[in-house]
Amino acid sequence: MLCRTSVSHAPSAKKETKSSTNRIYSLLLFLLLSYVGDPTQTQKLVNNWSCLCFFYCVFHLVLMSPCVSQEEQPRDSSGASCTQCPASSGRRKNLEFEPLSTTALILEDRPANLPAKSMEETQRHKQEYEEMVAGAKRREMKDAQKKKLQMKERHRHEDSISNAMVIWNTEILPHWDSVKGTRRVRDLWWQGLPPSVRGRVWSLAIGNELNITPELYEIFLSRAKEKWRSYSETSSVNDNESGECLSTALIHRELQTNFSGGPYHDLLHSVLGAYTCYRPDIGYVQGMSFIAAVLILNLEEADAFITFANLLNKPCQMAFFRVDHELMLKYFAAFEVFFEENLPRLFNHFQCNNLTPDLYLIDWIFTLYSKSLPLDVACRVWDVFCRDGEESLFRTGLGILRLYEDILLQMDFIHIAQFLSRLPEDLHSHTLFYAMANTHMVSRNRRWTQVFSALMKDTNKETDRNGSPALRS
Amino acid sequence: MYFVEHFSFTMQSAELEIEDSFDFLFKIILVGDSNVGKTCVVHSFKSGIFIEKQQNTIGVDFTVRTLKIDGKKIKLQVWDTAGQERFRTITQSYYRSAHGAMVAYDITRRSTFESVSQWIREVEQYGAASVLLILIGNKSDLHANRQVLFEDACTLAQNVEAAFVLMARELMARNGMTAIDEISLEAPSLTLNSSHPVRDTLAPDKNCRC
Repeated sequence: MLCRTSVSHAPSAKKETKSSTNRIYSLLLFLLLSYVGDPTQTQKLVNNWSCLCFFYCVFHLVLMSPCVSQEEQPRDSSGASCTQCPASSGRRKNLEFEPLSTTALILEDRPANLPAKSMEETQRHKQEYEEMVAGAKRREMKDAQKKKLQMKERHRHEDSISNAMVIWNTEILPHWDSVKGTRRVRDLWWQGLPPSVRGRVWSLAIGNELNITPELYEIFLSRAKEKWRSYSETSSVNDNESGECLSTALIHRELQTNFSGGPYHDLLHSVLGAYTCYRPDIGYVQGMSFIAAVLILNLEEADAFITFANLLNKPCQMAFFRVDHELMLKYFAAFEVFFEENLPRLFNHFQCNNLTPDLYLIDWIFTLYSKSLPLDVACRVWDVFCRDGEESLFRTGLGILRLYEDILLQMDFIHIAQFLSRLPEDLHSHTLFYAMANTHMVSRNRRWTQVFSALMKDTNKETDRNGSPALRS
Repeated sequence: MYFVEHFSFTMQSAELEIEDSFDFLFKIILVGDSNVGKTCVVHSFKSGIFIEKQQNTIGVDFTVRTLKIDGKKIKLQVWDTAGQERFRTITQSYYRSAHGAMVAYDITRRSTFESVSQWIREVEQYGAASVLLILIGNKSDLHANRQVLFEDACTLAQNVEAAFVLMARELMARNGMTAIDEISLEAPSLTLNSSHPVRDTLAPDKNCRC
């Protein structure tokens, strides 16, 4: 249909004629690519030679033109040639497939040595071309509209964040102790903390019961650094990984695994190292690095350490990081009470499939959801955790289960387990928070703390009766 | 006991997963010290893609895959456990009802190999008596830093009780052998319920039988 275009293209773009070998390569490459992609399709294409010419023309224009090679170079050499940037940004426009820029090529008549197009053919080509242009314009309009909507949404979101930020900075934070429990503050809190005050609110809410000072952090950090030095001296000679060295080696490898090359790698190393010196009885436990990472993203180094240590000192976190199995089972049992209350059908389904909460909750609770949820969603979960304490962690878990209830009801044991090990990446905070809002942490008029302490009393009775702590697994 | 040295690899043809129906269901538990690359093994088993960076496993991660072996649909549940010592009280309960256990170590870290016998003891203690064992020597692409000789692994595999299927193989993935071949070999011996067959190696240059 446009069989002339590739021929007429040559004189019209003199700059490109010198790269005629390039063009042959490109044609070969194109043929090769399409052959690899789908041989039958290529056959059709070759039969329909005119079509091939058109594609070749576009291919050449888009991929092989000198504009492209010049454009690509500075990008590859990582900003080494900034002087070219303004020029190439002007040229960038040509890169995108713009119908107008190809008009000259496509509508040109055939060369004199070939029979001219008939009127009918010219008309048809013109019409086809106009349709293509109209289609491209429609697409562009659509994209533009979509972008506009997205921008509007983003502006709205930014506005609400900046409004909230003003409120948090001027009305809430200066009077923290007196207003933190008010309805208004709690509502604002639920909607998500503005990133600029997030760290501040977290550290205020988690508090500093342990009375750790920045000076104390420096002391533990220097101790940790000493250990690293001795570790790096010995580790090259022999693989000595016992006792305290184990924690040091483990942190080192863990950070390599999870955060290697990241900008906060060293900070993370410091905070975790200082913690293992501060609490050698607990040491480093897998999962800690995720918590420390989220804190470092929102707080200064010493504050991150103080908040980290105080956070891990909370009863639920202590139970998990010490891997106090008995106590963990109590948490799971309490979770199941609210699970049955909120999602009876799914609860039954899980029971029938022998899917116990430890199989998914351990990962969630250990990392406070920072491993399994996208970072922005995890931060909002942390916001609520700082507001409501440990109970909110289980509420979040129930929120996730509620969100995916319909899917999970269709799955068997292993597919549920696999699904919950790797939650969908497109999980959005507003859908999760909607599900969480519909999750009520009340069971037969008892709240979380009451249910949990009732379960704890049961253990105490058992312990009294047996004379020794019952060890079940 | 099977022994596999695991290499970074890509799988050419991943069979389509058959979701719901199966003839046999096997639970495989994957254990070994932390950071030996257990999750990488599972990931390449699942998707055929080797990803060097995997996040830590906290507790246990699950993977399911259905294979077709001798015309039978074999559904494999892989329980990928956390390696850190601290988590053992949790993972101990996961050995129950496992049909197979894979013990992984890192050939570039001697200590992880020295823990293998401890892991085998765990499997024997908490798992069923008939559980099948595979030993995986991971990271064999880093052979320049090798701290564990292949022969050592063979010796270890030999010294483990006779109840296990004794076998060792060195997997060179670049030659086209993949973990899927390895793992699926285990399944038929389970399905046939034969009394611990010793399988001949498929390609003598790649494998070494103990």
